[in-house]
Amino acid sequence: MPKSVMLDIITPEKLFYRGEVELVIPRTLTGDEGFMANHTWACKLLDTGELWIQEKGQKDFKIAAISGGFIDIKDKFTIFTDYAEWPEEIDVERAKKSGERAEEWLRSHTRADENEQEILKARVDMSKAHTRIGVAGGGLRRKR
Amino acid sequence: MANSSMQDIKRRVKSVTNIEHITNAMKLVSAAKLRRAKTTFEKTGEYLHFVTESIEDIFNNSADIPKKYLEGNRDIKTTCYIVITSSRGLCGSFNSNVIKQADAEIKADPERPEIVAIGVKGRDYFRKEGYDICSEYMLPPENISFIETHDISVPVLNDYVDGKIDEVVMIYTSFISTLEQRVNTVRLLPFEIKRNLDVMPMEKQVDYEPSTEEVFNYLVPKYVEIMIYSAIVESATCEHAARRMAMENATENANNMIADLTLFYNRARQAAITSEITEIVSGADALK
Repeated sequence: MPKSVMLDIITPEKLFYRGEVELVIPRTLTGDEGFMANHTWACKLLDTGELWIQEKGQKDFKIAAISGGFIDIKDKFTIFTDYAEWPEEIDVERAKKSGERAEEWLRSHTRADENEQEILKARVDMSKAHTRIGVAGGGLRRKR
Repeated sequence: MANSSMQDIKRRVKSVTNIEHITNAMKLVSAAKLRRAKTTFEKTGEYLHFVTESIEDIFNNSADIPKKYLEGNRDIKTTCYIVITSSRGLCGSFNSNVIKQADAEIKADPERPEIVAIGVKGRDYFRKEGYDICSEYMLPPENISFIETHDISVPVLNDYVDGKIDEVVMIYTSFISTLEQRVNTVRLLPFEIKRNLDVMPMEKQVDYEPSTEEVFNYLVPKYVEIMIYSAIVESATCEHAARRMAMENATENANNMIADLTLFYNRARQAAITSEITEIVSGADALK
C-alpha cells in the first residue's frame, strides 16, 4: 500500500476538505499532475479544473471542481483555491447556462473592440462551467 | 387639566412600549446574525494565515522576487484609502468611529487621496466632504462572497501596478470581543516584509512552478484580496455586535422610561382623584 499524506483544501469561506490521501491530482498551469507522499517540496499554481483525490485505502477517486489557487507541497499538502465544489453541490443547469452565456459573449465580441481582461474573464467562466458539468457527471478524465 | 395630561402620559407610554418592542426584536435579529457572521469570520482567518505564511516562505528562501509590491520601490505620492463602514444605521458609534479615524488620516495626507468606499455611510460622508470616490460598493456586507470582492480589489491592484496610486491603506473595524471593537488602519501595499534572519532557510529545495516570480506575483494580489475580504467580513461581524449593543441599551432605556412614565401616570391619576374628592366635599359643605 502506498504511503499516505495529510491534505487540506482551503477556500476563503471554509476548510473544504481535510484527510489522509494517497494521491492527489490537480490541474496545474502546465497540465494535470499527480502528487504522492514524499514528493519534492514545491509550490505550484493551479488552473481551473478537476481535482482528483484518492483517499487512504480507497480504490475510487473523489472528484471536486476547483478554480485557481495553488498547491503547497511540503510534508503536508495544502491546496488554496478561490472556489471548490463537490459533484453533489453543483447546479448543472446553472453551470450550463453560464457556460452558454460566456460562449455567446465570446462569439459576439472580437478581440479588437474589447479589452483583454473581459475576454479572459469570459474564458475563465467558460472553463469553470465545463469543469462543473464534467465533475457533476463523474469527471471527464477516464478512470483508471 | 389633569385629565388631558393623563391622556398624554398614556399615549407616551404606548409609543415607548412600541419602540421597546422594535428595539428588542432588532436586538434578537442582530444577535442571530452576529453568531453567523462570527463563524465566517473565524474561518477566513485560517486562510489568510496560510497565505501570509507562504509569502514569507518564498521571501525568505529566494532572491529573485519582483520588487514592485515591496516597500521602498517608489516614492509614495497618491494614497488610496479603503474605508469600510456599514450600509445601515442604528448601530451606535460604529460608523462614526471609522469615519472619524479615516478623516483624520486623510486630512493628515498632503496629497489628494483616492477613496474606495465600502458601505453607504462612509460614501455619503466623503462625498459630502467633496473627496473623489473612485469606486464604491453598497452590497450588504454580511452576504458578500469572495468572488464579489474581486470587483473591489482588481481595480485597486490595477491602479497600483499602473502607478496611479502608490499606497493602499485600509481602515476598518476589528473585532476584539462581542463588547469591544476597535478601528484599525492597515497598509496593504506596498508590502512590508522584512527578511527574518532568525528563520533558518528551509532544509529542502522548493520547486516553484511556473517560476518563483510568477508564484509571488500571484500570491501578493491574492493576499490583498483576502485581506479586503476578511476585513469586510470582520467589519460585518462588528456591525452586528455594535447594533446588538445599541439595541440592548435602547431597550433598557425604553424600559426605564416606561417605568418613569407609569409612575407619573399614577401620580396624576391620584392627584385627579384627590382633587375630585376635595371638590365634592367642599360642595357638600357649601350646601349645609
